[in-house]
Amino acid sequence: MVHHADAKKALDERGYTGTLLHGDNPLKLFEKAVRDRIVDSYYWKEQCFGLNAATLLDRATDLSFIGGTYGVAQKPTPFLCLAFKLLQLTPSKDIILFYLHQEEFKYLRALAAFYVRLAWEKDEEVYKTLEPYLADRRKLRRRVREGWALTYVDDFVDDLLVKGRVCATTLPKVNPRGFLEDEGKLEERVSALGEELEEMDEDSGGDESEGEVEEVGSAMVVGRGGGDGEVVSDEEMSGD
Amino acid sequence: MPPPSSRMTKNRPQPIRYRPGKAEVAEEASEDEESEQSDDEAAQEEVAAPRAPQPKATSFPSHNKLAVDLSKADQQTSAAPKSAPKKQDDDDLEGFVTASESSEEDEAGGSSDEEGADSSEEEEESSDDEPKKPMLRPTFISKAKRAQQATAQPQRSADDAAAEEERKRKEKADEMLQAQLERDAANRAAGRKAWDDDADINPEDEVDDTDGVDPEAERAAWKLRELKRVRRDRLAIEEKEKEREEIERRRNMTAEEREAEDKIYIDAQKEDREGKGQMGFMQKYHHKGAFFVGDEQDEEVQKVMNRDLAGARFVDETGDKGVLPEYMRIRDMTKLGKKGRTKYKDLKAEDTGRWGTELGNKRRDYDGLDDRFRPDERGGGGGEREQTGANAQPVGERRRREDDDGYRDRDGKRVRYD
Repeated sequence: MVHHADAKKALDERGYTGTLLHGDNPLKLFEKAVRDRIVDSYYWKEQCFGLNAATLLDRATDLSFIGGTYGVAQKPTPFLCLAFKLLQLTPSKDIILFYLHQEEFKYLRALAAFYVRLAWEKDEEVYKTLEPYLADRRKLRRRVREGWALTYVDDFVDDLLVKGRVCATTLPKVNPRGFLEDEGKLEERVSALGEELEEMDEDSGGDESEGEVEEVGSAMVVGRGGGDGEVVSDEEMSGD
Repeated sequence: MPPPSSRMTKNRPQPIRYRPGKAEVAEEASEDEESEQSDDEAAQEEVAAPRAPQPKATSFPSHNKLAVDLSKADQQTSAAPKSAPKKQDDDDLEGFVTASESSEEDEAGGSSDEEGADSSEEEEESSDDEPKKPMLRPTFISKAKRAQQATAQPQRSADDAAAEEERKRKEKADEMLQAQLERDAANRAAGRKAWDDDADINPEDEVDDTDGVDPEAERAAWKLRELKRVRRDRLAIEEKEKEREEIERRRNMTAEEREAEDKIYIDAQKEDREGKGQMGFMQKYHHKGAFFVGDEQDEEVQKVMNRDLAGARFVDETGDKGVLPEYMRIRDMTKLGKKGRTKYKDLKAEDTGRWGTELGNKRRDYDGLDDRFRPDERGGGGGEREQTGANAQPVGERRRREDDDGYRDRDGKRVRYD
């Protein structure tokens, strides 16, 4: 494949003859509005011209936040611009895995994870590659529409696997994990907690799980409510 | 090249005309006209001549960098920082030409041919400077001295001049590059990016993404997140299991049991829908809107939202107007008690038509009587409908006479039959 420095041909939808992702021009994974914002931005014009995988690595190490578009004018983040460039270049699997394995640069890892989710077509591979990073608990700075937010690498990877829309892009459809498990293509997920989880399960159904519920949320309220209701009625009856 | 003229025209400068009321400033024009040709040649060199003491601007390349003999002031090409000090010197020295400078000028005058390139650049400035050019004092050089001048000049060859220029340009380029690099380093140190125009918002202040600030807390937070994910997965599995069980159960039941269950469910639904109360007499119909609400509302909120108000506007509004006295049973309560109100309720109530209510009500006295005793038909009987006895025979065809051609009605006379 011939690499043109500004890759105008890739953006022009008519004459595209490069690799296809999900059956189409890889750049079409981003919506037209987002594509236009990226291509008109200063970061793209200055920094992303004539990049190859190695120079992109340099740029990615300079990243300091993730995000989609922000602000009133939907300005794209450098993260998004680099992801767009990756889609343009469609580097090989080895290169992307190399990016992912870099421990030192978490934003590079996030970028590679984003690309994996977008580009790889086999669902099992996506799950298998991204699930180890659910154990990476480092913080990530995220640019949201108005201001900043704090997130974590594992949270970001989880969003990629579960949510439908992340960082101003609609992610291509991937079968839910349960589906793949039923088909036999994937094993059940072994959580990074591993032994601790088993311990928690063994302790008891009653106290521990209720403890969990208190800690975590309100979904299991029914069980507790039922318990409380019974207690109250007993008291009433005894009072009468 | 012809000498540049400051007025950009080939016309001779005319003496200024008299304009009544304007002061005359006409002295320079006549002088210029005479000395124009002689002055133009020397003008370019004069501009360069007073530049001998170079200004110490910081942007100007330092003395050691420039490997140029500054005494050859007239050879220098124009550079931006020099133009300002040049003009200042010009103003100061206007009209004053010392003997030493004038000798320099003469030297410079001889080399005008070789400096074609330089002079073209200097012309840009000399065109500005020409009105302010210092007045020349013509000095006489003897023939011997003139010959000396001529030999001194050609030694400076064109190649040297070109080499000088190149070196100067290279120096300037290097220096600009140096400045650019320094600026980039400074920017990077300050954390600014060229493409980032909102660098004034310091991101570190907003959200801190340094790891290892509190390892225990971070580990605990991660554990929490992981547990949530695990629980989410498990709940999903449980849901699926429940659904499967339900499907199995229904399949195993017989048809009657299924119907029984369905009936219970439908009845429950009906009750929910209809237990809301009937519409009273003349009650206004109100639908509270078909917006999906979902489970986010509290129970209390749900209770309040599902109250059976039927659009009542105030607390005492009775939905059912049957409890009110007859006088108050009107649709629009604002018209109650107003003078001239007709008690028009609705079309149906005011209608006086009978609409099939009295179809079976027609009865006559003679209904049960025999045919002989019935009264005659009203309305004349309709013209011999009933024929009895001798009148029951049908009437035959009328005879036609031969001299009749059809109808003889042309004279207006009655047709005769004999």
